[in-house]
Amino acid sequence: MYLSVYVNNNIYKLRGPHFTGCRSREQETFRCWWSAGIFQNLTEPGALRVFYQTKNFLSEWQECPDYTRTVKNECYFNKTFTQIWTSYCIQLRSVRENITYDEACFTVENIVHPDPPIGLNWTLLNVSRSGLHFDVLVRWAPPPSADVQMGWMSLVYQVQYRVRNNSHWEMLDLESGTQQSIYGLHTDKEYEVRVRCKMSAFDNFGEFSDSIIVHVAQIPSKESTFPTTLVLIFGVIGVVILLVLLIFSQQQRLMVIFLPPIPAPKIKGIDPELLKNGKLDQLNSLLSSQDMYKPDFYHEDPWVEFIQLDLDDPAEKNESSDTQHLLGVSRSGSSHVLNFKSDDDSGRASCYDPEIPNPEDLASLLPGHSGRGDNHPLVSRSSSSIPDLGVQQTSEVEETPIQTQPAVPSWVNMDFYAQVSDFTPAGGVVLSPGQLNSCPEKKKEEENEKKIQFQLVSDGAYTSENTARQLSASVPPSPGPEQGYQTFPTQAVEGNLWNGEYLVSTSDSQTPYLLPEAPPAPILPPVSDYTVVQEVDAQHSLLLNPPSSQPAICPHSPNKHLPAMPTMPMGYLTPDLLGNLTP
Amino acid sequence: MNRVKVLQAWLWCVSLWSCWLSHAIPLDCKDETGSLIQCTSISQEKLLDRVIQHAELIYRVSEESCTLFEDMFVPYPLHALRNQGGTVCHTKPFPIPGSKTEIQQISDKWLLHSVLMLVQSWMEPLIYLQTTLNRYDDAPDALLNKTKWVSDKLLSLEQGVVVLIRKMLDEGILTPSVFEHTLTPYDEPSPEIPESVLRDYNLLICFKKDAHKMETFLKLLKCRQSNKLSCLSY
Repeated sequence: MYLSVYVNNNIYKLRGPHFTGCRSREQETFRCWWSAGIFQNLTEPGALRVFYQTKNFLSEWQECPDYTRTVKNECYFNKTFTQIWTSYCIQLRSVRENITYDEACFTVENIVHPDPPIGLNWTLLNVSRSGLHFDVLVRWAPPPSADVQMGWMSLVYQVQYRVRNNSHWEMLDLESGTQQSIYGLHTDKEYEVRVRCKMSAFDNFGEFSDSIIVHVAQIPSKESTFPTTLVLIFGVIGVVILLVLLIFSQQQRLMVIFLPPIPAPKIKGIDPELLKNGKLDQLNSLLSSQDMYKPDFYHEDPWVEFIQLDLDDPAEKNESSDTQHLLGVSRSGSSHVLNFKSDDDSGRASCYDPEIPNPEDLASLLPGHSGRGDNHPLVSRSSSSIPDLGVQQTSEVEETPIQTQPAVPSWVNMDFYAQVSDFTPAGGVVLSPGQLNSCPEKKKEEENEKKIQFQLVSDGAYTSENTARQLSASVPPSPGPEQGYQTFPTQAVEGNLWNGEYLVSTSDSQTPYLLPEAPPAPILPPVSDYTVVQEVDAQHSLLLNPPSSQPAICPHSPNKHLPAMPTMPMGYLTPDLLGNLTP
Repeated sequence: MNRVKVLQAWLWCVSLWSCWLSHAIPLDCKDETGSLIQCTSISQEKLLDRVIQHAELIYRVSEESCTLFEDMFVPYPLHALRNQGGTVCHTKPFPIPGSKTEIQQISDKWLLHSVLMLVQSWMEPLIYLQTTLNRYDDAPDALLNKTKWVSDKLLSLEQGVVVLIRKMLDEGILTPSVFEHTLTPYDEPSPEIPESVLRDYNLLICFKKDAHKMETFLKLLKCRQSNKLSCLSY
């Protein structure tokens, strides 16, 4: 029964007599309480009465079996009157007025609030390594009033904990056993732990048990942190040292890995040692034997093979070959031009085998054809396998006939080469003087040629200044030091050797090397030690520039050397003499 | 003479051996496919434990189903029905005492038979409940699954109880008892709330109560098996 009363604009809901609650502790007995409410005249005992009815048997209403004397307004139902799985309905009646103020229906198991568990205690499980956290195991016992052993009540428990004096409780999950672990508690903090229980599959929790205090003192463990930092530092240092040692021990390998060596240029089949020691003839032979190089050259310059210097018809051409320019050939129909054909060899074999012009042409080139001999080492040919220069190439020297040239072109007098006669101790080069009556194109020949040891680097095409030098090594100086030449006994040939080939005219007395026999030399016009190769005849012999008997037309010679040489001691050219000689 | 004695002795041996064989031959056990397999044996204690586990699970699931249904379909003022233990639950062939003292006085035989009776009485209503729950538009799947699960578990529980009865009481179940279900649909339509809701809600509440009974009886039985004194006296 409710009354709404307005007092100072506030609504107060006032209630008449009503039940305040019914509870069972152990599912065997239960109690109910009521209140008289605002009806103060009903507060006296006996004014209100409780009647109950069990729905099972549809019995009549019975009055409360036991009004508790000690507690006001309480109705107690003992074991005999308590049945579970049965619906109870209770009524609060005022008998005098025959008014039922309140009614409630329930089953006993739904009003069970178990007693709190007893015997709550805790044990330390472990402490973390840092000493900051710890775990505990909390234990308790079921309430003694609940008959759990028989299975009359199945209880579940709930543990709560909090930091002391904190307002918030941490709740753990329901536990059907009688122990639970709490993890992650902080040391040096005080914790409160409590537990309560309820019937499983029901919603009514009982009261909380008394709280217990859980506290673990923090162990000062500063030493544990210190060694860790030390260990860390030492570990890092050790690793660094290891790395350094590794790098130093494997330096070579690491260098290869990180900085791979750049491959040096290498030609297959050719030993780099050959290049170093200057064995060019060997190298040249190797190169020429390599078929692969020739086609490469062809492929690169396909036009090269078709180049042909047609010197037979110079009038056609406006330009002439470079050699003609070099030799100073006049364009006016001089037939004695060296016919060089740029053939396939690209300069290698052409050195060996220049095209030999016609013999008639050659004959016209060289004056004083004195005949032929087999022992004129005009041209020393080299085969493809030229041994070292140090070896005398006597066997390979061929003899070619030399034909003198009747007419002397003007360019013949030009000196392109100066014969090196000697080396000064200081390392200077002494050049031999040229002919007296001719333009200074000849150089004085060194008289002790055998003292001279040349180590010329040349390939197979060049025989030999050395060889040629040796040809005339034993030859005594020719008459007249100013002549400074040595002539062949059977010829009057002089001239510079083209390509460095050295033509020496030796006297009779000393020809141990090359000249098999040398008929006594007639009086020949002075032949210089070197001469310019003008042409190559058909027999592959060189036609040399003859010495000019006329007063030489002295063209401007790039090599202005001594027109005349005073007495030349042993063929040495001293600097003061040089000063005299130089025009 | 010796020969006769030997023959007699041999005959005794043979007969004894045959008797022993007849007792020792294992029962024919058949698995699901029907082929004969070796029977698995289990101790009585273990079987009782398993039966109790079944009963506990069924009880918890029934409570969850009730809560699910209540939250979904039942308006709040009627939640008090739950506390009342249901308005009408179908009656049982024999009454089951409710007080602890009375229950403690029940014999083992009666306990087991009561459990069996309870289990068998709920098999059909649960199947009926499944069909009705499927008719709801927004019945949660959890509820349907739980109901189905409970039906299956009840079957296995029944099998376990039957075995227990055979073992503990040394009696066989002759005929499975068939209960007449008094669960009739209500003919009084409620204007505000569909009657099916009330009916089903009531069914769930009653089932939860009976599951609690099963669990309690079985636990009491277990208590008696372990220690009779502490269970009986109070």
